[in-house]
Amino acid sequence: MTHDFLVGFSKSFGLFYLIALSIGVLIYTYWPSNKKRFDYAAKSVLSEDDKPWA
Amino acid sequence: MIAQLTRNERQTALLILLAVAIGGLAMAVGGRDNLLGIHGAIAMALAIVMMFVVIGGYYAPEPTEDRTASYYDDPTKVGIIIAMVWAVIGMAVGDWVAWLLVFPDMTFDAGWASFGRLRPIHTSGVIFGFGGNALIATSFYVMQRTSRARMPDQVTPWFVLLGYNLFCIIAATGYLMGVTQSREYAEPEWYADIWLVIVWVTYFVLYLRTLARRKEPHIYVANWYYLAFILVVAMLHIVNNLAVPISLTQAKSYSLFSGVQDAMTQWWYGHNAVAFFLTAGFLGMMYYYMPKRAGRPIYSYRLSIISFWGITFFYMWAGSHHLHYTALPHWVQTLGMTFSVMLLVPSWASAGNALMTLNGAWHKVRDDATLRFMMVAAVFYGLTTFEGSFMAIRPVNALSHYTDWTVGHVHAGALGWVAMITFGAIYASVPWLWKRESMWSPRLVEVHFWLALAGTIIYVFAMWNSGIIQGLMWRTYGEGGTLAYSFVDSLIAMRPYYIARAVGGLFFLLGAAIGLYNIWMTIRSAPEAAYDMTPDEPVVAGMPAMQPGE
Amino acid sequence: MSFFGFHYRLERKTIPFVLAIVGVASIGGIVEIAPLFTIHQTVEAAPDMRVYTPLELAGRNIYIREGCYACHSQMIRTLRDEVERYGPYSLAVESKYDHPHLWGSKRTGPDLARVGGKYSDEWHVAHLYNPRDVMPESVMPAYRWLKRNTLDTSTLSLDLKAMRAVGVPYSDDMIANATADAYGQASPDSAQADGVKSRYGEATNVRAFDGVQGEPTEMDALVAYLQILGKLTDVAHTPVKQASTEAGK
Repeated sequence: MTHDFLVGFSKSFGLFYLIALSIGVLIYTYWPSNKKRFDYAAKSVLSEDDKPWA
Repeated sequence: MIAQLTRNERQTALLILLAVAIGGLAMAVGGRDNLLGIHGAIAMALAIVMMFVVIGGYYAPEPTEDRTASYYDDPTKVGIIIAMVWAVIGMAVGDWVAWLLVFPDMTFDAGWASFGRLRPIHTSGVIFGFGGNALIATSFYVMQRTSRARMPDQVTPWFVLLGYNLFCIIAATGYLMGVTQSREYAEPEWYADIWLVIVWVTYFVLYLRTLARRKEPHIYVANWYYLAFILVVAMLHIVNNLAVPISLTQAKSYSLFSGVQDAMTQWWYGHNAVAFFLTAGFLGMMYYYMPKRAGRPIYSYRLSIISFWGITFFYMWAGSHHLHYTALPHWVQTLGMTFSVMLLVPSWASAGNALMTLNGAWHKVRDDATLRFMMVAAVFYGLTTFEGSFMAIRPVNALSHYTDWTVGHVHAGALGWVAMITFGAIYASVPWLWKRESMWSPRLVEVHFWLALAGTIIYVFAMWNSGIIQGLMWRTYGEGGTLAYSFVDSLIAMRPYYIARAVGGLFFLLGAAIGLYNIWMTIRSAPEAAYDMTPDEPVVAGMPAMQPGE
Repeated sequence: MSFFGFHYRLERKTIPFVLAIVGVASIGGIVEIAPLFTIHQTVEAAPDMRVYTPLELAGRNIYIREGCYACHSQMIRTLRDEVERYGPYSLAVESKYDHPHLWGSKRTGPDLARVGGKYSDEWHVAHLYNPRDVMPESVMPAYRWLKRNTLDTSTLSLDLKAMRAVGVPYSDDMIANATADAYGQASPDSAQADGVKSRYGEATNVRAFDGVQGEPTEMDALVAYLQILGKLTDVAHTPVKQASTEAGK
C-alpha cells in the first residue's frame, strides 16, 4: 500500500463513515418500538434500588 | 470487611496476594542493582501487609447466605475513601509545583523535589488516583443498581480496586525516583503497564459478568459510558505503551515508535484519555447520580444515546490537534481540527441534556450543594468543550499552543467538570452507602462548594491571562521588524498570574481536604437509628420528598 | 422461556455492543496513524544523519528522568516568529531516532530543538548548576546533583541494543564499546577518546563537558545531549523541497 493511497483513503473515508454511522445511530434511536424501552430505562433508575432483584 | 468474604474467597485472596508477593520478590532480586528492585520490594511489602489483613480475619465466621439479597458495596466504600485521599495528595503536590514556579529554589537540592519529577505525581495523582478510583468505586455502585444484580463474586472487585492502587503507588514512587517513560499521562514504565493491563482486563470482565446477571433487559446508558471508558482506555493504554525494555531486570525501556509516529500515537492516547477517562467515565457517573439526586429522569434518553455514539466516534480523530504546525503531515492536522470542531455537537448535547434534566428542580439546586456540584460540573463541561473545539482550530492553536492557556483549559475541565461531578457523586453516595440521614455537616459541603468554585475561577482566569499574554508576547514584532520580547520578558510577565494560580489551586485543595474530613466524620457518626434501610434516595434537609419520574 | 434461552437473549446484546464500541472507537485512530508508517516514501531522507552516542543517549535519559520535557518543547513550528526565535522549523526526519519523541507540549521555558552549539559548555554547566546565576529571572530548578553524580554507564550496551531492536542502526561495534565510548567522549585525552570519533563521525563533540576529564558525570551526559540537539543532521538548514509533497498541502 502506498502512502498516497492511504492518505487519500484517510482524507475521504471519514466523511462516509461519519454519515453511515450517524444514520445508523439515528435509526436505532428513533425506531418506534425502541421508545418504550428508553422511556422505561430513563425512569427505572429513579425507582427503589436498595437490593438486587431476586 | 474480611468477614464478608466466604472461606473460599479468603483462600483465593491469599493465593493472589501470595502470587503478587512472589512476583515482587522476583523483581526485587532480579532488579536489585536498579530501581526495578525497589518497586519489586514495594509490591512485595504491600502484598504481605494485605496477607496479614486477610489472615487476621481468616477465622471470622462465614457470612450468611442472605448477603446475596443485597448489593456488595464494601469495595465502593473503600474506593471512595481512597479516591479522596488521592485527591488531597494529588492536589497538594499540584499546588506545591505551582508555587515552585514562583519560588523555584524550594527544591532542597534534591532530585525528587524538583518540578519535573513532582509534576507527574500531580497529574497521575489527580487523574488516576482521584479520578480513576472514583470511577472504579462509582462504577461498582452503578452497575449493580442499574442491573438490579449483585456482583458475581467478592474477590474480583477487591483485586481490581487494590491492584489499580498498586499501579498508582508504583507510578507515583517511580516519578520521585526518576522512573518515567516521558509519555505524558502514561509515564509509568513497562512492568507497571503490564500490571495495569492485567487489572484492567479483570475490571472489564467483572463488568461484563455483572451485566450478564442483570435482571433489567435494557442496559442503562450510564453503563454504556462506563463500558466505553474501560474498553477504550485498555486499547489506548496497550498501543501507547508498546516498548522494548533494555532487560527484564531493568526498569528502563525504549518506545517502539519514534519521532512523528510516536508523537501521533502519544497524542492519540493523550487526547483520548481526556475523552474516555475524563469524559466518558464521568458522563456515566453523571447519568446515574444526577437524575437520582435531582429526582428527575434524564431529560432525553435518546439524546444521551446519540451523544454517546457521537463522543465515541469523534474523539478518536481529534488527537492530532495537539500537533498543529509541527512536523506532523498537514492533512492529519486538518482531520484532527475538523473532527475537534464537530465534537462540539455531542458534547453540548450532553451538557444540555444534563442541564435540562434539572429543569423543574432548580429549587433543589439552590438548596442542595451536592446537586449544585453536579450542575456546575455540567456548565463547566459545556464551557470546556466549547473552548477545546475553539483551541483546536489551527490559527487559534498557533497562539494557544505551548502556553498556559492549554493549562487553563485542562484545569477548567479537570477542576470544573471532573472534580465537581465527582464531589457531587461522592457526597450523594456516602450517606446512601453508610446509611446515614445526610452528610455529617451539610454546611461544610457548602463551604467546599464555594471554595471549589472560587478556586476554579481564579485558576482558570489566571491561566487565560498568562497564556494569552505569553502567546502574544512571543509573536509581537517591534518597529524594526524584529521580535519585540525575549523569552525572559514573557517569563517575568507571568509571575503575578503564577501566584494567582497557586492561590486558586490552594482554595481547591482546601475544599477537597474539608470534603475528606466531612466524609470521615460522616462515617464515624452514629448511624441513624430510625433509618429504614431504604437508603438509596437523596435526602435533603427541609425539602419535600421527591416524586420519582415526575 | 427457559432460563438459558432468556440469558442467551440478554448476552447476545452485550457482546455486539462491546464490539460496536471497539469498532467505532478504533477506526479513527487507525485511519490517521496507519499512513504515518509509510511516510518515509515522501519525506526526504537525511543520509548524513547520525545516531546518538552512548553519552548523549545517557544524557537524553537524564533529560527524560528529570522531566525536562514538561517545560521545554523540542519542536519548532512552521510559524514565522518561531523560526526567527529558535531557528529553522523542525522536520519529521530529525526525530526519527527519538525513542520516545520529546516534542513536548508546553513552553514554561524556551524550545530546545536547536539549542545545540548555541551556548558554551561552561554556560550550560553554570546554568544547570543554578539557573539564577546566569539568568536571574529564571524559574528553572537547580540541578546541582548532576555534577556530583557519576554517570552509570554499566547498562549502556543494553540501552543501545534495545534501541537497535526498535530500529536505530547501532552497529555491533557501537554496542560492544558503549561504556568505553561514554568515557572517551567526556575525556578527550584518554585512550578511549579515539574510538568515539571513528564510530560516530569526525564531527562528534569529544570534550570534558563539565570541565573535568575522567569518570563522566551526569552533567557531562546531559550537556553532551543538549549540545547535539538539532545537530544530528543538517537537512533542516538546506533550503530544498524537503517538506515533501504532503506537508505543503
